[in-house]
Amino acid sequence: MWRAALFAVLVCLSAAGGRTQAAPAQGATGDDGQWTMPAKDYAATRYSALADITRQNARSLHPVWTFSTGVLGGHEGQPLVVGDTMYVVTPWPNVLYAFDLTREGYPLRWKYRPEVSANAIGVSCCDIVNRGPFYADGKIVYNLLDGHTVAVDAHTGRELWKTQVADLGEGETVTMAPLVVKDRVIVGASGGEFGIYGWIKGLDLGTGQTVWTARNLGPDSDMRARPDTFKPPYDHGTDLGASSWANDSWRTGGAPVWGFISYDPELDLFYYGTGNASPYNPEQRLGDNKWSASVLARRPADGALVWAYQFTPHDNWDYDATGTMILADLTIGGRAVKALVHFDKNGFAYTLDRASGRVLLARAFAPVNWARAVDLNTGRPVLEPAKQTGASRGNVKGICPSLEGGVSPSSPAAYSPRTHLFYTSTNNLCMDYAASHTTRLKGTPYMGVNTPYSAGPGGYLGTFMAWDAVSGRKVWENHEPYPTWSGALVTAGDVAFYGTLDGWFKSVDARTGQVLSKFKVGSGVVGNPITYRAPDGRQYVAVYAGIGGDWALLSGDTRSDDPTDVRAPADYVPDIARHTSQGGIIWIFAL
Amino acid sequence: MRPRLPQCRMRRPATLLCTVLACAALAACARQAPTAATSSTATTLPAVRYEAHLAAGGLPPAGGALHNPHPGDAAVAKSGALLFAAMNCDGCHGGGGTGWVGPDLADGRWRYGGADAEVFYSIYYGRPRGMPAFGGALGAEGVWTLVTYIRSLAPPADLPTESWETK
Repeated sequence: MWRAALFAVLVCLSAAGGRTQAAPAQGATGDDGQWTMPAKDYAATRYSALADITRQNARSLHPVWTFSTGVLGGHEGQPLVVGDTMYVVTPWPNVLYAFDLTREGYPLRWKYRPEVSANAIGVSCCDIVNRGPFYADGKIVYNLLDGHTVAVDAHTGRELWKTQVADLGEGETVTMAPLVVKDRVIVGASGGEFGIYGWIKGLDLGTGQTVWTARNLGPDSDMRARPDTFKPPYDHGTDLGASSWANDSWRTGGAPVWGFISYDPELDLFYYGTGNASPYNPEQRLGDNKWSASVLARRPADGALVWAYQFTPHDNWDYDATGTMILADLTIGGRAVKALVHFDKNGFAYTLDRASGRVLLARAFAPVNWARAVDLNTGRPVLEPAKQTGASRGNVKGICPSLEGGVSPSSPAAYSPRTHLFYTSTNNLCMDYAASHTTRLKGTPYMGVNTPYSAGPGGYLGTFMAWDAVSGRKVWENHEPYPTWSGALVTAGDVAFYGTLDGWFKSVDARTGQVLSKFKVGSGVVGNPITYRAPDGRQYVAVYAGIGGDWALLSGDTRSDDPTDVRAPADYVPDIARHTSQGGIIWIFAL
Repeated sequence: MRPRLPQCRMRRPATLLCTVLACAALAACARQAPTAATSSTATTLPAVRYEAHLAAGGLPPAGGALHNPHPGDAAVAKSGALLFAAMNCDGCHGGGGTGWVGPDLADGRWRYGGADAEVFYSIYYGRPRGMPAFGGALGAEGVWTLVTYIRSLAPPADLPTESWETK
């Protein structure tokens, strides 16, 4: 009865105001206590103004609730909390759970089990992950691995629409978290390992109809790049997305979209990164290969391209740029700057002017030897000739970072406007890169490389660190024995949160990195923590445990559910399976 | 088992591409149907079954035999190794078939049976959870070439226990 009444109120709010959030009144903190978008806000800060949990009391954080999702794939992404409900999307088969946060034990209100093709499992390069749903206008919107976007009624769990956006037969799957702006749902496809012709689409939030499709490479007409409105900061000319690929190789050039998207309402631009150029053997696609490994800024209404900047021209190393683009207003040289901050797989952290796309600062945040620096006049990396790759170069050894990235795009960073610092996981891995000629056969991998990894310098494989994007320096870092693969969360209590591959969930002092609490959560963490205020008025922190993503491939034997598939341990992480097996657990912590 | 093989830790392991050879194989095989290798039983369903399948009443279904025309042929296995890379099999199953996104093919353990005919079936028609059907692209002779290669991979000793304690 009470629940029905609450729903009625929410529905009325939604109907009356055309609001995109059924939000309770904001508290004194200016934060409504919900988590309705993958990255908390359009700026993708993963910062919460909740401050019940502080540097002083975080030591008493402890688990208060867990739930097994019943799924063993890598649990990337994060839950949403809207009103008094928590929403969780699992890896394939992409079950959507809605938990009632008003009742003891948080029982399910409902669950939604879409039919998702199992064929998608074989067309996923790197595990069957999902990076989370988005809440808007009474709908939970998310992507299915087999290439569909769905909208589900947030109250009833009823499917409102389901649209096919991607083609499995071409090697396209969908793992990314959508972004909703006004009445537009923005989605893209994975498939940089399958030679797709990468794209991003805008669907209508009400009907699910595809309103526009824009390619991330190819001719201007395909890219929705008009000469009067497309102003890249460092490049001139038309059809750069085609002319920078020898022999029309853009047609199978990759440039997928598999990370997170951010949006600036004042500039009315959304920002997303594109993935690697296909295939991995760069000699089969001579040229800059625009706009792979780039950040693109577009208008949500019609997808028009406004600017683009390429972090890694002629990608020789699988340096996807799909990592999150955090929008922050910084003071640089005494001047207020609308900045975009991005930690790239290529090992550089970039601070850009998000109105123009010009690079203001680019400094290595992890060991880098493929380039010496980024030239701020041209925006181009100053390459190290000995670390360029290709089939004719044989096995190029000792390239840093590895293709897992200085940080994985699956591990989004956070930004605190209180400390003015950015927080991110990192990997400390290097690789050899032996490219070879490869042939595209639809629906099979189109790669052409052999890339064994090794530990980077220093005797640790990962970190969690704080970064000053104005000065381009590391403020503190915590070393971890394994690559760190979780997203970051930071709060107004000056507490930052992250998880580790060996299954620890940690809270740390955002000003010093000192570990305040840690708890072993049952499986390695590759998901992203969130925080929210529940109906009982208390602040909670939630995170998934469930090792996977690339670590489904790289860990050796962390699975136990298939007696016909038993792997040897990976030689650079020989004992990871001693500390974690696959999982799929939602954890909630409180004081 | 604990396959004591060099660890596969790469996005796409060991690639020995020979496009010319692959194209030749494709051209030669593309027109062949699976029954080409079993012409004497063309009207009979092949008696393919998984090793682990139980037969109701203890009665396995009747059917014709599907025979590998090149069992144990080292030269064909060598061609199969090239085809394994050329058809991007290694992109999923790893260099040497030691496992990646797709299961290990060199460990002596099989989801769908490891007999020649069973492996043929898996490649020719594909399997659920994403194994593509290669029969159309390769034809029966190409698939048998792959089968011969995969069956030539010597599984390591099967050690079901892995211990991290001092031995």
